[in-house]
Amino acid sequence: MVRSNKEQEMLLGTLDMLVLQTLITGPAHGHTIAHVIEHTSDDVLQIEQGSLYPALHRLEDRGWVSSYWGPSENNRKARYYRLTALGRRQLHKQTHRWQTMVDAIGRVLAKAGKTAD
Amino acid sequence: MSFRRFFRRREWDEERARELDEHIALEVELNLARGLSPQEARRQAYIRLGNPTAIREEIWKMNSLVSIEDLGRDIRYAIRQLLRSPGFAIIAIVTLALGIGVNTAIFSMVNGLVFSSMHIEQQNQVRLIAIRQKGQSWQPALSYAEFRQISDATKGVFSGLIADQFGLDGVTMKGSKPDRAFTDYVSGNYFPTLGVHPLLGRFFTPSEGLTPGADPYIVLSYAYWKNHFAADPNIVGRQISLDGRPMTIIGVAPENYRGLSSILEAQAYIPLAMIVPIENLPITDFNKQANRNTRVEGRLQPGITPQQADAALTLAARQIAAAHPAEERDLELHGFSLQAGRLTGGIDDDNSFNTVSAIFLGLASLVLLLACVNVANLLLVRATVREREMVIRSALGAQRFRLIRQMLTESLLLALLGGIGGVLLGRLASGLLASVNLESDLPIHFDFGFDWHVLAFSITIAVLAGVFVGSVPAIRLARANLNLILREGGRGIAGRSHKLRDALVTIQVATALLLLVVAGLFTRSLSQNEHVDLGFDPNHVLTMMIDPSEIGYNTTQSAQFFRGLMPRLRALPGVVAATSAQSIPMGLIDNGSDSVTIDGYTPPPGQPQPQINNNLIGSDYFRTLSIPILEGRAFNDADNDKAAYVAIVSKAMAEKYWPHQDPIGRRFTMGADPTHPMQIVGVAGDARYGNLAGTGQAAFFYVPYFQHSDLNTLQAIELRTAGDPAAMTQEVEQVIHGIAPALPIFEVKTLHQALYSPNGLLLYEVVAALAGVMGTLGLILAVVGVYGVLSYAVSQKTGEIGVRMALGAQRSDILRMVFIHGLWIVGIGLAVGLGASFGAARLLRSMITVSAVDPATFVAVPAILAVIALLACWIPARRATRTEPMEALRVQ
Repeated sequence: MVRSNKEQEMLLGTLDMLVLQTLITGPAHGHTIAHVIEHTSDDVLQIEQGSLYPALHRLEDRGWVSSYWGPSENNRKARYYRLTALGRRQLHKQTHRWQTMVDAIGRVLAKAGKTAD
Repeated sequence: MSFRRFFRRREWDEERARELDEHIALEVELNLARGLSPQEARRQAYIRLGNPTAIREEIWKMNSLVSIEDLGRDIRYAIRQLLRSPGFAIIAIVTLALGIGVNTAIFSMVNGLVFSSMHIEQQNQVRLIAIRQKGQSWQPALSYAEFRQISDATKGVFSGLIADQFGLDGVTMKGSKPDRAFTDYVSGNYFPTLGVHPLLGRFFTPSEGLTPGADPYIVLSYAYWKNHFAADPNIVGRQISLDGRPMTIIGVAPENYRGLSSILEAQAYIPLAMIVPIENLPITDFNKQANRNTRVEGRLQPGITPQQADAALTLAARQIAAAHPAEERDLELHGFSLQAGRLTGGIDDDNSFNTVSAIFLGLASLVLLLACVNVANLLLVRATVREREMVIRSALGAQRFRLIRQMLTESLLLALLGGIGGVLLGRLASGLLASVNLESDLPIHFDFGFDWHVLAFSITIAVLAGVFVGSVPAIRLARANLNLILREGGRGIAGRSHKLRDALVTIQVATALLLLVVAGLFTRSLSQNEHVDLGFDPNHVLTMMIDPSEIGYNTTQSAQFFRGLMPRLRALPGVVAATSAQSIPMGLIDNGSDSVTIDGYTPPPGQPQPQINNNLIGSDYFRTLSIPILEGRAFNDADNDKAAYVAIVSKAMAEKYWPHQDPIGRRFTMGADPTHPMQIVGVAGDARYGNLAGTGQAAFFYVPYFQHSDLNTLQAIELRTAGDPAAMTQEVEQVIHGIAPALPIFEVKTLHQALYSPNGLLLYEVVAALAGVMGTLGLILAVVGVYGVLSYAVSQKTGEIGVRMALGAQRSDILRMVFIHGLWIVGIGLAVGLGASFGAARLLRSMITVSAVDPATFVAVPAILAVIALLACWIPARRATRTEPMEALRVQ
């Protein structure tokens, strides 16, 4: 069966949220974004680097990030992504939603854990 | 996704490639720093990123109009689906083709008569100028004097004002018999103002047509040049004679210019003032202020709006009225679009043509609606059959949106194929309509050609039909729970709720009822008209027209000719009575109409003298047509220009102007001959001259031709015969040619045939035939549709019926159940349809001669539909009750 739209949206939304969160400290290119996500999560979140670029494209399409060519660490040209005001608002909204859900799941699991004991 | 990126996606893709390269490079450096070998560093980098081409492809797709690419797939799939069930496809396509074909045919008719191009420059800049005097309707007929005065007064708003008058003239070439041509006497600026350019030779110069007799030149229409002069390329400069007068052919009009009227096409064009010598018109008549038989059109100056032009016309009217108070009291002038006067010759003030075309387009769209409902229903049934397919495709990951779009693609494909069939059918039908034999020698011309208007119309309705028929099963699919269907083993979406299908039946019944009622009213009007009391006896009468002026006779010579001719015709064996008259009932040549001054009668304040139709007749007229003389006497040979001037009035005229008095001996004067007051010598029974609608009791008067022979040379010969009138034709022609060998004889027909003219029964005949064809189509579609839906609905209930019978229900209970359901939906349909029909009939009131609540139609049509609908319930219900309960249950 088709995965419902909401479900799909949430999975995509998670990656989007992580990317946006990364960009909150300043513009970065794709490679940096991938490594920052991995490092800050203590390598728990091994993101598939390949899915990052379509995600960036989608975010840019929605106007949540903007991009420009700039010099990279090794002095070549890299594509930098910058968070837009719209993106910042979106990040805030998504983080809030995520937190609510995590708390809810946490409470359910805590209760389930107690019952199991 | 922005369209900018769609068109720049190659460039965009190259950027992504560079971005990914950069990513790999950075990752490789990182890996090298970790001490991996260059080769391994590269390998690891690719493993972590994934396939760059796949990533680019994903982004490429995000920038694509996926739907366009999918559309191709959908269409291919739809074609395969239709090929898989050709029976269904053919029925659906033919049904839609019928619906679209009817619409195309009707629209091409309306378009051809009114909206198609007249092939002149900037048609909407040309205005038709009409005149109105207080209390009368707008008439597009002005006098030549008024034309000149308006021309001078409106130079600021019109860059050119043109005028023309129609005539019928005999054309003779050296060594051949004269032929009668329908001619158009035009002002010299006619063609340049319209922006029409000659095919051969030249057109007139602006000064030609100003001076009577000065410009003996003639321009031929393309059709006349082709048919009568074999498209001779060296025609320019040839001499012909027109009504015995030598004329030089100076040019040929282009093929596509057919004049400003949709129906009558002039065969030759002549400078306007030439009408004076050619038609023996006294110059005083030609210049008379109120002799109104000129059509006037004006081309607006660039930048001038029609409103500004109307303001200038109003001002001109005031000036003219002030200068000629006697003839032009309360004169008003107004510009109309060329279309307004294109069809009827008058201004369509009451928009009756618009009403007729709206009615027919309405009827045609009802047929299309019926066709669509039938096809929608077929699709609905098919959708049940294809539910499995839909469920499986959905299980394999197809989005519901895609499935719905697939269904719409299929129905649009059906509709477009139906549209192609419809255009072909429509072409055929409009060709048949255009070739309706009007039994007239006049150059009547219908051009129901296919231009882009018609094509755009057909495509639009085909697409609308496709969306309509496709959306019915699509709505069904959108609402359905596909999981449930899979679990229920394909009992089907359509098997459960009947609401949509019931609604379709209701629409079908209501539509069919409306269509059949309208068709019925028109058909009943025709049959009633065929039996209407005409006031004269049309049987055993032969008529033909001759105009001695066409061989150069003047009015005196013409009168002499008729005086000599009539006794010879009366002497022919088999002739009971013979007469001549200016016009025949319902004829193409109009009855005379003149303003009349009646002794002892004053029109109501502010109203002009009454306009009354009349006829110039020979002696023995009333006996020939069997019109009774109610009082006094008929005309005889003694009523000539040496005797006292006399007239006979119709019963209606007598009652209107001399109520409760004896009209015999009273006097009145007609405008055409103001110096001879006429004394009434008789009262004749009312006869229908103009048309069949209304009471047929209009005021009418008759005057003897031999007292007014200077008014007209064109006369219809009418003979009452003992036997078959048509069999006398040759003998009569011999007699005429015995006196004037070269005289053209035309419009030879029996009076009975003549009644089927455009003014008479023809219109009703065409309308009734069209309505009949559409009604029949509608009836077939409705019967097939209603029967199909109801019987399918009942057959779907076979299982339920089995259960009920197994639980002890009687057959009568089952029948009642089925009937009550059928009665409900058919009843609602009939009620809605009846309501709509009463409304439609009210709108049609002026066009039908039966009552708008004609009981025969309003009882018969619903009864027929109800019987059909009940049969459609009963037959499958009976079948269902006859099956064994166990068998019925097994159907599940």
